[in-house]
Amino acid sequence: MTAQIELAGIDKHYGSFHALKDISLTIDKGSFVALVGPSGCGKSTLLRSIAGLESISAGRMSIAGREMTGVPPRHRDIAMVFQSYALYPHMTVEDNLTYSLRLHGVGKAEARKKAAEVAATTGLTQLLKRYPRQLSGGQRQRVAMGRAIIRNPKAFLFDEPLSNLDAALRVQMRKEIRALHDRLGATSVYVTHDQIEAMTMADWVVVMRDGVIEQQGRPLDLYDHPVNRFVAGFIGSPAMNFMAGRIAESGNAVVLDGGAGTLPLARHVEPGRAVLAGIRPEHLVMAGDDASFHLTIGVVESTGSATYLTSPDGAFQLVQSERTTLGPGDRVGLTIDPVRVHLFDPQTGMRL
Amino acid sequence: MSRISNWLRDGVGFDILLVGAALLFLVALAGAPLVYNVLMSFQQVDMFTLGSLIRPFVGFDNYIAVVRQPEFWLVTRNTLVFVFGSMTGQFVLGFALALFFAQNFPGASTIRGLFLVSWVMPGLVVGAIWSWILAGDFGVLNVILKSLGIIQSNIFWKSDPNFSIWAVIIANIWLGLAFNMLLLSVGLAAIPRDLYEAAELDGANAFQRFWTITLPMMRSTIGAVLSLGLIGTLQQFDLFPALTEGGPANTSNVAGFWSWQLSFQLYDFAKGATVSVMMFLLVLFASVIYVRSTRHEVRG
Repeated sequence: MTAQIELAGIDKHYGSFHALKDISLTIDKGSFVALVGPSGCGKSTLLRSIAGLESISAGRMSIAGREMTGVPPRHRDIAMVFQSYALYPHMTVEDNLTYSLRLHGVGKAEARKKAAEVAATTGLTQLLKRYPRQLSGGQRQRVAMGRAIIRNPKAFLFDEPLSNLDAALRVQMRKEIRALHDRLGATSVYVTHDQIEAMTMADWVVVMRDGVIEQQGRPLDLYDHPVNRFVAGFIGSPAMNFMAGRIAESGNAVVLDGGAGTLPLARHVEPGRAVLAGIRPEHLVMAGDDASFHLTIGVVESTGSATYLTSPDGAFQLVQSERTTLGPGDRVGLTIDPVRVHLFDPQTGMRL
Repeated sequence: MSRISNWLRDGVGFDILLVGAALLFLVALAGAPLVYNVLMSFQQVDMFTLGSLIRPFVGFDNYIAVVRQPEFWLVTRNTLVFVFGSMTGQFVLGFALALFFAQNFPGASTIRGLFLVSWVMPGLVVGAIWSWILAGDFGVLNVILKSLGIIQSNIFWKSDPNFSIWAVIIANIWLGLAFNMLLLSVGLAAIPRDLYEAAELDGANAFQRFWTITLPMMRSTIGAVLSLGLIGTLQQFDLFPALTEGGPANTSNVAGFWSWQLSFQLYDFAKGATVSVMMFLLVLFASVIYVRSTRHEVRG
């Protein structure tokens, strides 16, 4: 794997606001990288910096081995799909697709031929003569993608491209974008606040918060080994449950605060240490007498394929694949595979 | 009785009431004078018939008489020069200023606001100020041009037949500049920023972005600015009495001012009305073009 985009020590200030703090990131050629994080974490700013739409205050970046710091966007050979699609409203779909080709002096016949090819891969063949205002949201999305594909750029940048679509279409476009990426052998950087999109589409997920990369890695590594409480809570749906407790005398169990119960551990930890135990809702198993701890149920939600049980204060959730006859007020005994208990430092939030 | 009040309160009656009030206003204050003006242009109007509504009809005699006036072609030429000169100046400079103030720099909107001064000032005052600036023997414009070495001797802007129409055009450009700039600024602000970003990533340089994004997206705004500019320029009156009074020898006279002279200085109301009907047809023609151009309006 060779690096297609390399960022080293990127800083970005907006006046007194420090939007990006010393970001270093290597994006391999042909990989699909997701930048994910809550709003205001700097993921869009980072993407726009790669595109050259934002200037960076410090640091260096290169694309396909060429130094790109300070190079204007039109010389970076990068395509971007905007959240708003940013289609040219006064041009037909065909003219939208061929705009960049025409700017680069490609002949009319040649441009039309390429537009027809791209339209065929994105399902736009019937719509070439239409204007953007005559298209549905999903069709506009495809035009925006087609406009990026036609140029065969060094990298594709996506800025929350699916957030204006309805839920069903979003799931479908997720697969289409990923399939397109694989077919073109492209390098893609994808910004989203939706961790499901990041987990399902990307080969490499970068979790950001407050202008800092909290953790990066393969999607399942992030799920299995979150480095801190923030990543643990951000990745995974429903979110991880956190319970305060203390390591038992034996060193291989957590005594939960408030007499809620005891969690077994698969390893030995310094006894008496205060910890925050993290448990994913889908890893809890209903148990009888051998239950580690008990939970009172507040709300029961069934989707048919799964049942979501939530505690009365809303702080604790578990997911069961079986159907249940439990109702609000019932108490259930729960147990968990010791290797699936995550421990975090209550002060620093770092993984123990 | 209650049926009528219900009809007014809940039904279409209220809508009709509102539309009716506006329509009545329009008919009384714009429609009727217009029709009366057209009517007069086909009548013989003199001291004996002035007070009556139905006067002897003379067909197109007034139109023929107007065209046969010795100054007719001069005034027509001046009107065209005045309209094209003023509109071109107002539009090009207004667009340039609008683009300039669309850039983000400290104080941009404040300074743009100051340009409104020229729009707020009465035409007569603007005319008086420009009358001093353009004065042949003591005007500041001549001083500037001479010290820059562009001219050797004073130009008598207002009294030289070669320059008199341009004196009014210069003042009129200044007067209409702010209006053009403001409307065009609004149009510019309505273009989404991400279109420019997309175009930039697609490889467009600043000139190409202006040509392929800004201009087409501004189409309806430009249409509105040009048609309003045409109407405003044809209506321009205040500057003429303040600057040249149409002189010398009608070399700076335009249709609007001529129509006023015919009606209220020579008391030849029929010819005055005839000239204004001719102007009305010109504006109507321009409006039709404008309306047709906005029919394919593209936004979002």
